[in-house]
Amino acid sequence: MAQDNLNRDQATARIRAAVTQDLLSGRISLLLGWQKGLFWWRSRPLFARSQQDLERLVWDSFCAVNLSRYLPEELSIEERVGILVKGCDARAFHRLLQDRMLDRERVLLYGLPCPGMLDYRLLAEAGVKEAEQMLEEGEELVIQTGGGEERRPRTDFLLEKCRLCSHPDPVVYDQLLLPPGEPRMDPASRFQDLEARERPTPAERYAYWSGELQRCLSCYACRQVCPACSCRECFAEQQEPRWLGKGAGLNENMLFHIIRVYHGAGRCIECGECQRACPVGIPLLELSRRLAKDIEELYGPYEAGMDPEAPPPLLTYRPEDPAAFPEK
Amino acid sequence: MIRYIQESRLEELFRILSRRGPLYLPLAEGPSLSFRPWSEGAPVDLKTVNSTVSAKEIFLPREEAYFCYRRAGRELALEPLEQEAANAVAFGLRACDLRGLEMLDRVFKDQDPPDGLYLRRREQTAIVALACAEPAPYCFCSLFGIDPARAGGADLQAWWHGEGLCLKALTAAGEELLSSAGELLHEGPAGAEEPPRVETGNFGLKLEGLPAGLRERFDDPVWEELYRSCLGCGACTYICPTCYCFDLEDFGHQEKGERYRCWDSCMFREFTLMAGGHNPRPTRKERVRNRFLHKLQYYPERYGEIACTGCGRCLRSCPVDLNIVQVIRALGGESR
Amino acid sequence: MTAVNPLLPQKVTLQEIVAETPEIKTLRLASEKGIPFDFIPGQCAMISLPPVGEALFSITSSPGCREYLEFSIKKVGAVTRALHELEPGQQLGLRGPYGNGFPLEALRGKDLLFIGGGIGLAPLRSLINYCLERRGDFGGIDILYGARTPEDLIRREEIMERWPAAPDTRVYLTVDAPYPGWEGHVAFVPAYLSELAFSPENRIAITCGPPAMIKFVLKALEELNFAPEQVITTLEMRMKCGVGKCGRCNIGSLYVCRDGPVFTLAQLRQLPPEY
Repeated sequence: MAQDNLNRDQATARIRAAVTQDLLSGRISLLLGWQKGLFWWRSRPLFARSQQDLERLVWDSFCAVNLSRYLPEELSIEERVGILVKGCDARAFHRLLQDRMLDRERVLLYGLPCPGMLDYRLLAEAGVKEAEQMLEEGEELVIQTGGGEERRPRTDFLLEKCRLCSHPDPVVYDQLLLPPGEPRMDPASRFQDLEARERPTPAERYAYWSGELQRCLSCYACRQVCPACSCRECFAEQQEPRWLGKGAGLNENMLFHIIRVYHGAGRCIECGECQRACPVGIPLLELSRRLAKDIEELYGPYEAGMDPEAPPPLLTYRPEDPAAFPEK
Repeated sequence: MIRYIQESRLEELFRILSRRGPLYLPLAEGPSLSFRPWSEGAPVDLKTVNSTVSAKEIFLPREEAYFCYRRAGRELALEPLEQEAANAVAFGLRACDLRGLEMLDRVFKDQDPPDGLYLRRREQTAIVALACAEPAPYCFCSLFGIDPARAGGADLQAWWHGEGLCLKALTAAGEELLSSAGELLHEGPAGAEEPPRVETGNFGLKLEGLPAGLRERFDDPVWEELYRSCLGCGACTYICPTCYCFDLEDFGHQEKGERYRCWDSCMFREFTLMAGGHNPRPTRKERVRNRFLHKLQYYPERYGEIACTGCGRCLRSCPVDLNIVQVIRALGGESR
Repeated sequence: MTAVNPLLPQKVTLQEIVAETPEIKTLRLASEKGIPFDFIPGQCAMISLPPVGEALFSITSSPGCREYLEFSIKKVGAVTRALHELEPGQQLGLRGPYGNGFPLEALRGKDLLFIGGGIGLAPLRSLINYCLERRGDFGGIDILYGARTPEDLIRREEIMERWPAAPDTRVYLTVDAPYPGWEGHVAFVPAYLSELAFSPENRIAITCGPPAMIKFVLKALEELNFAPEQVITTLEMRMKCGVGKCGRCNIGSLYVCRDGPVFTLAQLRQLPPEY
C-alpha cells in the first residue's frame, strides 16, 4: 500500500522516533537517512549524530539516493551505524556483505518498504512545478495545473528504476518500520520490456550503444554510486598497466562501460542508481539488466543481493554450465 | 541594426553558417543537451535553459590531441598536430556560458604563457549568445551580476520574439555573420530593440565575506560535514563552466602515438597522487574542501572574481544534491 | 596573433647517463646548441618519453654549464623507471624552464647553509655550483648533506672533493646509521644540524629532502632562532602542465609549478598545510 501525504508525515515521525531512541542510547553512533535537498523534489543523504540532526530526517517520495554505499567508509570511523534501507538499499547491503565490505553485526538496518520514488522530470512534463500542485493519495497522484485537476496513477511518475523494481520491500532488516507493500514487478517476468525491444544483430546493438555512450563524460558517477563497485583501486584508475586512457572518446567510454558491466554481471542488484546518477542520462540500467537477463538465460533464474549465502553465478562452477565455445 | 529570422527557417541559417567552418549548437542527446557540431537534421534545442554540459567544451574540448610522436631506435620525432578548421560559430550560448569563458580566458589567455590551443579556438569562433526568456528553477546567475538576457563578450545577441529570433550584432564579426545570411534575415520587428530584462532567484545567498572570510576557515569543522555525502565522482567538475583542470596523456604504441590534453577532475584521488605514493589531498574531505575553496577563495585571490556563474548545473547534476549553494549556505552565506 | 602551444616539447638528446646510487641516475640532456634554454638555479623542466609520459624534474646543473642540462632522477614510478633504462644517444622531449627558482638577489652577501637529504641535493647542487662560480658574491658556504646509507649519497666527487676544497666552504656529511666502511658522522640530518648549531646571523638556510626530513629540519632551524624569512625550501608535487593552468599542483591559491617550487618558510606558513 503506497503512502499518501498525510501518512507520509506520520511515517516520518514514526521513523524518527524509532531511530532517535537508538541514537540517544548509544546503540548506534550514526544514522544514515535522508533530509530535504535544495528543491522540494529532491532528498539527499543525512548523516545524523544527534537529536538535532534527526530533526532534518525525512521520508518522502524523493528519497532515491542509495545510502548503503556509504557504509564501508562510515564503519571505519563509527563503531555501529544505523541505516534506513528501502528495498534496493537492502539488496545493496547484501551486495556489500557478500563482497566482504562490512560486518553485519555493526550495522542496524531499519527497513522501509518502498512505494517507489518519483521522477521530477515526469512531474514537470505534466505541468507540476511547485510542491503544492501535487497531492499523493494512495496509488494516485492528484495534480493541479492551469488546466484543472487531474488524477493519475502514481506509477506513471516513478523513476524508471522504481517502475522496474521487483523487491520494494527490504530483504534484510533488524526492524521493519512501516507496513510491507506490494511488489510492482514479478521477478520471473521482469525482463519482458527488454524482450520487447531486442536489437537482434550485433550491428544494431553497436549502433545503439555507441550512440548512447559517445556522450559519456567519464565522470564515474555510475561507478561511485554503485554498491557493486567497491574495488579499492578501479581498473580504470590503474596506471601500471594502464588499461584505459583518460580521455572521454567513444573507444575509452565503450571499454569502461563494457568492462564495468561485466565486472558486475551476476552481481548487479539492478538498483538503477547508475542511471539516476548519470549527468547525461545514459540508459545504464538497461545495459546492466541486459547482462542480468543473459545471466538468467545461461545459468537459470538469479537475483543478486537477495540471499547473501548464494554465490553469484559467475563465481560458481557447475558441470552442466553452458560451454563457452561451440562444441564441434 | 536588428535582424529577424523565423524559427521555421533556422535550419537554412545553420546551413549558411556551417559553410564557414564548424557550427556548434545545443544538440539533444537523449535527455542531455550539449554543444556539438551541427549537421543537417541534428536535434537542435534552443529553448531549454540551459545545456547539461556547459559550452566550455567548444573551447576546451573533452579531449584534444596536440602532437604525435614516432620512435625508431633511439630517434624520436615530435610533430604538432594540425588543429581543426577555424572560423567556427558557436550558437546558443547563455550568459552563464559567456561568463564562464571570461574566467577561462584569465587562465588560458591572460596568464603567461598564453595557451595556443585554447586561444586559437577562442579567437576564431564567432559567438551568438541566446538570451534566456525565463530562468530555470536552478538558475541563480543574477547573484553574480549576470543578466541572463544580455551576455557579455558575444558577437551577436539573439533572443526569442514571437515565432522567431531577433539578432543584434555587437561586434564587427557579428555584423559579418548577419550579412552572410543576407536575404534570409528580415528587419527586426518594431519594439524589439533589446531582449527583455530577466532576473533569477538567488536562493537567499549573499556573497559578502567571500573570499576574505574563508582564509581563516581552512580547518573549520563545516568541511567534515560537507564532504560526507560526496561520492567522489567528477560530474560537477565536468559540467561546470568555470572548471578547467586538465590532464596530459600519451596514447599509443612504443613506435607511434599521440599526446593529448583531456579533462581531469580534482575530485579524483589520483589528481594529486605522486609517484612514490604521497598524496597531499588523500581523502574526499581535502578534495571537497579544495574544490570549493578554489571556487570561492583561491581563484578570486588570483584572478579577482568568484569562480561561479550561478548556472545551476551542479544543482542539477550532482547525484546526492551537494552543490555550491549548499556549500555557501553551510559557510554562512545566507541572508535570514 | 595566435600563441604557440606552451605544452609542446623540443627535442633533446641524452648524452650521458650515470648511476649514482642503486636508485638514482644523473642524465645529461642537450640540444644541438648545447643547453636548450637559459634558466636559474631552482628551476625545473619537463622531460618527455612517449608513450610513457612526461614528468617534472629540477635542473641540477648550474646555468654556468652551457653544454648540457643535468637531472638527477630517482626511480619511483613509470616515467622515472623508463628514463633509467635509457642509453646515450636516445632522443627525448624537453620543455622549460619552469618555476620561480631561488631568490638569488636575496642571497647575495649572505652566509649560506645548505641542508639536503638523499635526492634532495639535486636542486641544491645547481645553486651551490652557481654560488661557487661567483664566489665573491656570497659569504661562507656550509653544506650539510646526508642519506640513509653511504650508498645513497649522490655527487660523490663534489661532496667529498670539489666542494670541501672550495674557498670558505665546508661540507658535513652524515648517514642515518652505522655502515661498514663508513668512518664519517652518523646521525639523522636534523639531529646533526642541531648538533652543529649554526648561527642565524646573516645566514640563509636552504633545504630540500624527503618530507619527513624537512619537517624536522624546519623545527631544528626554528630552535636555532632562524626567522621564517631566513629559511627556504623547494617543494615537490604531482605536476602536468608546468605553467599553472592544469590546476593540480596548487597549495591554496599558489601553484607550485609557477609560484614555486621555491618558497620561504614565511610564505609556507601563509598557505594551507596541504603539501
